[in-house]
Amino acid sequence: MDSFISKELLGRMQEIGSAEIVVGIPSYNNARTIGHVVRAASAGLAKYFPQRKSVIVNSDGGSKDGTCDVVLAAEHDTDALLLVPHRVNPIQRISTPYHGLPGKGSAFRTIFAVAKQLQAKACVVVDSDLRSITPQWIELLAAPILERDFDFIAPFYLRHKYDGTITNSIIYPITRSLFGKSVRQPIGGDFGISGKLAARYLEKEVWETDVARFGVDIWLTLTAIAEGFKIGQSYLGAKLHDAKDPGADLSSMFRQVVSSVFGLMETYESFWQAANGSTPLPLFGFPFEVGVEPVAVNVERMIKAYTQAVSDLREIYQSFLAPETLDALMACARESGDAFRFPDRLWVHTVGEFAAAFHSRKMDREHLLQSLVPLYLGRTASFVMEVRESNAREVEARIEQLCQVFETEKPYLIQRWRADIRKEKSNVGIPG
Amino acid sequence: MLEFLDKSFAEPLRRLMALLGDVLPSLFGVLTILVLGGAIAYLIRQVTYRFLNLVKFDRMVAGTALGTAIESARVFRSASDCGARLVQGFVWLFIILLALSASGTPLTEDLVSRFVAYVPDLITAALVLLLASAISKFLARSALLAAVNAQWPAARLIAGGVRVLVMSLGVVVALEQLRIGRTALLVAFAILFAGIVIAGAIAFGLGARDLVHEWLRAKSKPEPGEKEEILRHL
Repeated sequence: MDSFISKELLGRMQEIGSAEIVVGIPSYNNARTIGHVVRAASAGLAKYFPQRKSVIVNSDGGSKDGTCDVVLAAEHDTDALLLVPHRVNPIQRISTPYHGLPGKGSAFRTIFAVAKQLQAKACVVVDSDLRSITPQWIELLAAPILERDFDFIAPFYLRHKYDGTITNSIIYPITRSLFGKSVRQPIGGDFGISGKLAARYLEKEVWETDVARFGVDIWLTLTAIAEGFKIGQSYLGAKLHDAKDPGADLSSMFRQVVSSVFGLMETYESFWQAANGSTPLPLFGFPFEVGVEPVAVNVERMIKAYTQAVSDLREIYQSFLAPETLDALMACARESGDAFRFPDRLWVHTVGEFAAAFHSRKMDREHLLQSLVPLYLGRTASFVMEVRESNAREVEARIEQLCQVFETEKPYLIQRWRADIRKEKSNVGIPG
Repeated sequence: MLEFLDKSFAEPLRRLMALLGDVLPSLFGVLTILVLGGAIAYLIRQVTYRFLNLVKFDRMVAGTALGTAIESARVFRSASDCGARLVQGFVWLFIILLALSASGTPLTEDLVSRFVAYVPDLITAALVLLLASAISKFLARSALLAAVNAQWPAARLIAGGVRVLVMSLGVVVALEQLRIGRTALLVAFAILFAGIVIAGAIAFGLGARDLVHEWLRAKSKPEPGEKEEILRHL
């Protein structure tokens, strides 16, 4: 068995033998919220899959606030709560510390290993800080896998217009325009995964990289797309969770997610360069309107960060950005307040040129990604100001517009991606 | 008269010829070594350059501290060019030492032996400087990016300070290795370093008094009406 599986966990799995459904919950100091998630998962399994043997696995990063105790102690009165008969197979619970780099990815590895060992048909992973999870989420994420042979079910949430800005400005457009699938929440964090796909993930040698940290969500999604697994989405309603991820500052969070995306662009280079357009995915569940928590944004601070970066980091940008891109970025910085705008095409070119520089290793990758953070803040500020008066439908249309620019400009991205490498190859003449 | 001519002209001429007879073979040997050695050094540079291109050396070092240092120096066309010229430089050094040794005079032999004994120190000092240059550039860029992302107004100044400090340390270590002005240099560096620290402390204490006050106040109690940002990026 794998070295990251402890003897205690192995013993526990041998006791259980096998299971059809594994629900995994990664955690770190989530005692306050994880009880609700465990109760929702238990209720979901009891209500929607009463005849299937199920296990809930909490993969913990060494919590000091009693998270593991909360998981094992969380109770629910199924009969009273859901009006269903007592199930034949009681739901087993495991709470185990994971080994490896601290992060969600390492937690997922342990969950996938449990799913593989128990020969699970479906593995559902949900965040431990969710406040809006309902028992139906488990059905929506597991049923398409168990009953319709899907391999990967991504979440589809309703979110506030200022929420999920990395998703809306980079991750969703890249997933869609480059990899050809309209996965609206590629880094949603709550997924349904088939046993076959979970086993495939375990075979990959990425568990000592940024994937083991925050980059795991996008890695799961893009790997499933690029390797031809059957993908769908499930409508889960609103996603309400803790406002701040403890210990995760924007710079490291952004770096890990974007580094994962750029890294996957290298891994699956031939796939995304051959992919044309994008296809919508089947959506399970019943879409309904729901109120979402408002998000406060300090636009002034973001514009200030952008303006300072364009001035102070100019030499860094000069080393890999196209002169016209840099000029356009400088021109944006000259506008202030409500006049500040970061056009879609400029944003697409900027992201593409950063990806190409990442690929050709023009500078230290960590530095490269850090230097993208203030530009992303500028783009976010511009987006926030543009949609200030818009409703949810109009905001979605605005994001759709950005995705179309990404798709239109894809040839430019490919050209930049290849150009830097070609330049190196041609540089073989002997200098005098 | 014949005796006079013999003493005045023939004798010195014979001595000169004898001297030239002793020196000329060595001189010819030195010139041959220099010409042939130069050609060999040039050939070795070409071969090294082709080899480094073949193993994609430019790509290997791109993005590393070494690659960045080579690029920022703007002296070489590429990392492969730098490597090839470095190898050529070493070959030239060897050829010059060989030529000096071939001249066979006590002065050159003494010079060669002293230089050979000094070579390890020279190499170490050069490596220290190269390393200091690469590290200082890397750390300066790290400081610049961290300061810009933290929105500190003096980000460039901080990055410049980091670079100067690390490079100064490298120069002091290199000169110490070469045994040049040891005591004076160490004392000067200590004074300079202490001066920077004291000046920085005074400047921070006086200049940032209000800033620190504001910061502490903001940390302990937000201003009434001030909105906390809760933007969730993911």
